[in-house]
Amino acid sequence: MSAAPRGPQAAGPPDGSAATDLAAVLAIARKDLLQEARSRAVTVATLFFSAVTLVMMAFAMGQDAELLRRSAPGVLWVALAFAGVITAAQSFQSDLEEGAFDQLLLYPVPRASVFLGKLLANWLYLAVLGLIMTPVTLVLYGAHAGSDLWLLPVTLVLGTFGFAVVATFYAALTANLQAREALLPVLMFPVVVPVLLGAVRSSEALVGLQNAALAGGWLQLLAGFDLVYFVTCTAIFHLVVEE
Amino acid sequence: MTQRHETPRRPLWLRVLGLSTVVLFAVGAYLALVVSPPDVNQGQLIRMMYAHVSVAWVSFVAVIVTALYGMAFLWRGRPIDDTRAVANAEIATFFAGLTLVSGMTYSRPTLNTWWTWDAKLTLTALMFALLVGYFVVRGLIDDPTRRGRVSAVIGIVVAVSLPFNYLAAAWFRTLHPTLSVAVTGVHIAPSMLFVLLFNVGVAALVYLTFVSERIRIGKLEHQRSEERERREEGAPGEVVRV
Amino acid sequence: MSATPADIAGERPAPEPRGAASARASEAAPAIELSGISKRFGREMVLRELRLEMAAGRVAVLKGSNGAGKTTLLRLLATRLRPTRGRARVFGYDLQRQGDEVRRRVALVSVLGGNYPVLTARENLKLAATLSGLAGYDLGAALAGVGLEPVADTLVRTFSSGMKKRLGLARLLLLDPPLWLMDEPYAALDEAGKNLLDDVLAAARSRGRTVLMASHELERSARFADAVLELAGGSLRRSES
Repeated sequence: MSAAPRGPQAAGPPDGSAATDLAAVLAIARKDLLQEARSRAVTVATLFFSAVTLVMMAFAMGQDAELLRRSAPGVLWVALAFAGVITAAQSFQSDLEEGAFDQLLLYPVPRASVFLGKLLANWLYLAVLGLIMTPVTLVLYGAHAGSDLWLLPVTLVLGTFGFAVVATFYAALTANLQAREALLPVLMFPVVVPVLLGAVRSSEALVGLQNAALAGGWLQLLAGFDLVYFVTCTAIFHLVVEE
Repeated sequence: MTQRHETPRRPLWLRVLGLSTVVLFAVGAYLALVVSPPDVNQGQLIRMMYAHVSVAWVSFVAVIVTALYGMAFLWRGRPIDDTRAVANAEIATFFAGLTLVSGMTYSRPTLNTWWTWDAKLTLTALMFALLVGYFVVRGLIDDPTRRGRVSAVIGIVVAVSLPFNYLAAAWFRTLHPTLSVAVTGVHIAPSMLFVLLFNVGVAALVYLTFVSERIRIGKLEHQRSEERERREEGAPGEVVRV
Repeated sequence: MSATPADIAGERPAPEPRGAASARASEAAPAIELSGISKRFGREMVLRELRLEMAAGRVAVLKGSNGAGKTTLLRLLATRLRPTRGRARVFGYDLQRQGDEVRRRVALVSVLGGNYPVLTARENLKLAATLSGLAGYDLGAALAGVGLEPVADTLVRTFSSGMKKRLGLARLLLLDPPLWLMDEPYAALDEAGKNLLDDVLAAARSRGRTVLMASHELERSARFADAVLELAGGSLRRSES
């Protein structure tokens, strides 16, 4: 026998360590992204939905070019907010089939690691989506990025992270309760208003509708929001997935 | 054969509390509507402030208490803590609704608009939405322990959201200064201050009365279901050994 | 079948020396100890005051009609569900307070399979190994052991239900924990699959694994089962099979 002979307890289960936890988080995130790369369910849904939002809003406000230009940041981030809902909801839906989510909770990984893994995948996805949508929106709405280009990646990162944290957290809750999918935005939106406001105001500075110093204040609010909710949701996630 | 239960009578202290609340409410109303002088700028409308501010403050306190009892339930697992949390959430929701209605009633005649994006009002609206979510989620869970734990989670998030939503709403307003007189920013004369504080106290008493009664009923409900569960359980079996 | 179950099982890193007390706890403790476990779903009391002591290394078959609560009990032992009342221990570790320790020593083969359809068989197993913290493991051997080598890199979405069950079995063999919880493992398996499972269970028994298996296949399992338990009306008792 190649493996050491084992009695029931002599085998010794693996000890939890930070390295194992991190590996678990990354494995879960990788799995989510791999799933998405293969099934493209979320990609199709979010791209389509975002495109529809952008175009329809443009039609609705298109008469006034100035109005259109000023509303670019707002429309962009509302579309991203909805994309966040779709992304997070799907990330748990696909796990529910065949009892895969259940299985995920049976491993000796801390519940928080499951949350972090899914959060990482959702956030990366949203950030990339935002990166694609920002120039599209600017072009469509006739806005131009000003000189403070550093605002773009910072806002994208902080804003999508805020959406991802709350969306992932509540998506797990609604999935575990087998609630209607429509409940997710109802629960989530009153919480992410600060993210929406902060990201929009900061994006306004990017396109020259706002001065950068003011945007800095909003970014601080965003950062504070991200930090507080990240810690809180990670800490109480295990309560959301128990039965 | 089910026994017929009579609802136990309200304890004396609760009846006294309820009665004094009614009396003091009448006093407060009198003070607000009659005794207090009309405002220099807003006339009789300022009287709305007494009701508006008092229910607003109490609703925020109630939300925080909801979160605290939720955490207590997570910590100790005693059903009474969940009952307390729900009682507070119910009052918070009700008072938040009153805040919104009184705010709108106030702004319509003074500013000719039903809604101002006043920071506190916006915060209250968001909090109201979150509390509705709290009850929707509760309605989805049958098991009392699980319901209590998930409710506690939502309660915590609601409480955490308050500072962020307030900051966001406040900054939002500074960028869009619409003509508005902040209801609580009015320079308050000492006589008005007394009436205000008195009415805040009355609102607090109303809160205490309702919450106490609600908890009492919750306790009774819990006792009833416990008895029923105990009857269903039957005797424990012998240990099966393998 | 070239690989034996012992070869398949991944290695776990050697445990750090634990405190003497807890070491004693896991050596002397029964595999499963239920002290008045009750589970209620809404108004229905599915499990009532269960008391069970199952020693390590034993194999028990759990029978009961549909809806009797077998799956509930297994999921509870896997820490997926919290009991409404009562305490339970697995190898001395409390289910509710020491859930992580319990999960390290337990694996559940569920009815649904627990596989990701959009991943391949190999990827599913790799994930299981990573999340269980296994150090050295041989995925190829694990898949070969259950006859899934030819479809190792095919998406599980294309698998038949029998193949998905085999994948679940491969996962169990890979993790090879001290306590095996199995929910209707014979269901959906063809004759060859059932024989395979027989061999796996016999080998597990000889290796000292503890097995609690919910099943209707009483004849097959009678060969290696130490006891047959019956769950009826929420109560557990030993059945004379």
